Amino acid sequence: MIRSLIRSWTPPSTQSPPRRARWTALRRGLRRFAPVFALAVAVALSTGMLQGQSSDRAKTLGGKLICMCGCNEILTQCNHVGCKVSGAMLQEMDQRVSAGDSDDLILQSFVQEYGTQVMAEPPTHGFNGLAWAIPIMAFAMGLGLVITVIHHWRQRVVMAPAAGASVSPEMMARARREIDRQTDD
Amino acid sequence: MDLFGSFALLLAFLCGLYAFGAGIAAIATRKPLLIKSARNAGMAVCVLIWLGFGSLAYLFFTDNFSMAYVVEHSNRTLPAFFKFAAIWSGQQGSLLFWSFLLSIYVFSALFAYRGKHPELMPYVGVVCAGVQLFFLTLNNFIASPFQVLGAAGATGTLQWIARADGNGLNPLLQYTEMVIHPPILYSGYTGFTIPFAFALGALLGRYPGEKWIHLTRRWTMIAWGFQGVGILLGAHWAYAVLGWGGYWMWDPVENASLMPWLTATAFLHSVMMQEKRGMMRVWNVWLVFTTFLLTIFGTFLTRSGVVNSVHAFAQSTIGPWFLGFIGLTLLVCIVAYWRNRDYLRSDNNLDSLVSRESSFLFNNLILLVACIAVISGTLFPVLSEWIRGTKISVGAPFFNKVNLPIGLFLLFLTGIGPLLAWRKTSMSSLRRNFGGPMLIGLVAGVVGIVLGLRNFYVTVCLILSVFVTLTILLEFYRGARVIAARTGSNLFSSVAQLTMRNTRRYGGYIVHFGIVLIFLGISGTAFNQDKQMEMPAGAEMQIGPYHLTNQDFDSTQEPNYLTERATIAVDRGGRQVIMLYPERRFYPANAESGTMVAIYSTLKEDLYVVYAGRSPETQKPVIHAYLNPLVKWIWLGGAIVALGTLLALVPSRQPVLAIRAVEVAPAGTVAVPARIPPRKDDGYGGHD
Repeated sequence: MIRSLIRSWTPPSTQSPPRRARWTALRRGLRRFAPVFALAVAVALSTGMLQGQSSDRAKTLGGKLICMCGCNEILTQCNHVGCKVSGAMLQEMDQRVSAGDSDDLILQSFVQEYGTQVMAEPPTHGFNGLAWAIPIMAFAMGLGLVITVIHHWRQRVVMAPAAGASVSPEMMARARREIDRQTDD
Repeated sequence: MDLFGSFALLLAFLCGLYAFGAGIAAIATRKPLLIKSARNAGMAVCVLIWLGFGSLAYLFFTDNFSMAYVVEHSNRTLPAFFKFAAIWSGQQGSLLFWSFLLSIYVFSALFAYRGKHPELMPYVGVVCAGVQLFFLTLNNFIASPFQVLGAAGATGTLQWIARADGNGLNPLLQYTEMVIHPPILYSGYTGFTIPFAFALGALLGRYPGEKWIHLTRRWTMIAWGFQGVGILLGAHWAYAVLGWGGYWMWDPVENASLMPWLTATAFLHSVMMQEKRGMMRVWNVWLVFTTFLLTIFGTFLTRSGVVNSVHAFAQSTIGPWFLGFIGLTLLVCIVAYWRNRDYLRSDNNLDSLVSRESSFLFNNLILLVACIAVISGTLFPVLSEWIRGTKISVGAPFFNKVNLPIGLFLLFLTGIGPLLAWRKTSMSSLRRNFGGPMLIGLVAGVVGIVLGLRNFYVTVCLILSVFVTLTILLEFYRGARVIAARTGSNLFSSVAQLTMRNTRRYGGYIVHFGIVLIFLGISGTAFNQDKQMEMPAGAEMQIGPYHLTNQDFDSTQEPNYLTERATIAVDRGGRQVIMLYPERRFYPANAESGTMVAIYSTLKEDLYVVYAGRSPETQKPVIHAYLNPLVKWIWLGGAIVALGTLLALVPSRQPVLAIRAVEVAPAGTVAVPARIPPRKDDGYGGHD
């Protein structure tokens, strides 16, 4: 990218020939050192990014674990002063993140060390996946029930014949009251 | 006084037995004298419970350290304000407090309807007495707060002894909010007994029509309001005291308070279908039953030790009693329903899918799914351990993932519900009402994205919040415009008139607006920041736009605790905005410590500073600062919900249609009356 930027940059045509020659020499020099420069920038950037990622990743991963001191809180939210358990767990997390371990590997290592209870969320597979499935099943079943109820209610509608016995004033008054009641809110 | 309290509770239990038995006999024989006698016995139970509770309060305020419960939860230097809170800080006292609040509700119901509804009230009395008997059994025989301290004397006989001082109150409870949060939350829990008693009584007695709904509507709203405010106060307490920077961690006890609130919310909506259309009778009865059962279940969760929680009482053997009561109540409900199910047949049918009725059905579905998600998540670790033998955790990330979409869908329904008419809504009317607010909501979403909003759920929440707010405003505007046109009054006065004409409806809209603010406040969580560092005097920290300088540390001795306090100057843009004093307190009486968080709260964000103590390695003070956006909106929303609920409880003012009088009626015409009297109540309690 840097090379293309350098290539695309041209000095103004109004420059005098000796200055143009100097620019050409500078461009050549830059072109020669461009890969080295780009590498330096990339390393600097990636170091910075890795450092940022390290703490962010550790925080994100810490949010997926439970502190095992018995407080039952998320690891990064344990508020016990000098909590040795959360301190040690967070330190271990930082070390593993710095070592470049993958998220899965880090989480698995915590599961092996503390058991499945360390994960703040139940697994999505096996028996414990049922925890995720229950709300979805409840919604699906509820939706089915609502649709059935609506279908049932709509089928019960009985159409009255257009012409029939005349409506008495009492019936009309009752109907008006009923309409009032049903439409006042 | 200890004996007085014990005797009062024992007598209350005996009176309760009589009220229950005499009530059943009264229902069977229909003898008026027996009905009255059972009712009076029910009221006597309440008075005796008040005396029992009063005597426990007296023991706390007089530092009677011959009582085991007082020793455990109080000490001499405890301020009087917190001695009051200490009454319900333990298992035994909180159960008596439950009985006390329940007795206020029961007494009020029995007194308010004395001599009225003779076919229904004996059933209500029996159900209330049954529930009170259960709690009085616990108060008297399982978890009595009146146990005295005893020791073997010189002759080998048991002698009463008194301790010089008590162990003191849990530091987490020595906070102003803790004095009001439990009473308000418990008022919610216990209040649901009244609609339950009326629903079961109406079912057992096959009480005609929808009258029990009208009789219990205000009771339900009161209980619902208390429960909601209690939940929010609990969240605020957790936020200000626990010092972890959040207000809701999906703790089992928090979940236990949310479950009945969700089903009660569903009931408050679906009950309108029964009132207006005579529909969903079975559903409503079961919603009331479920709400009551969930209040007892929540109490079971808090007290049985079946789940781990920071709020739970000490593990005890009380759990089976609650399970037994829940099982028995459920059995009674099932039998009552099965024997009287034909009484609950619906009057009407659904005319259209696009109608207010449908929106209530979906609202109920979503609220119930949310409730099931909370219950299943709370109990799944127990189920997993029981079936698989492995312990798992179901923490906040699970609940957030599951409940976020549910909550947003509910917010969407909050917006479209008021736009739909009863029975049927035409598509053109839907487009007309729906189009504008949704379009503006979408524009707000786009503006949010342009301004840097990159969180999907927050963007959706913003769109829906704008949409719902606009639909609410439109509802007010349309109604007020009609009144303004008729009466000539200005728009603001018309809004007031409109609201007072149908307090339930417009109070409900205000509640909806409060809920919108709460949703917006919660969405701020996506942008929380925090920073923790050692900060000796002179050290500085930058978090968001705030620059914190630790100016000093001091340590002082108060009568009840020792405190370490940081003095932190907070600057913003080079200008000092506030001084914050986060504290860490140590209570020698029970050798426990507690946090006093310092919060600088604005509408935009909260700067939340915790003095986390001294670093174990360097002994330097550690400050943990959080920047939590929009938290104030949650408390503001809660206050608006409470206001809306209060407004909905106010009886509606009947509109009086004033028609200009015809001064001189021409010959051969009929004179128009000067005033049309308000429509007589048709038994449905008017518009409210």
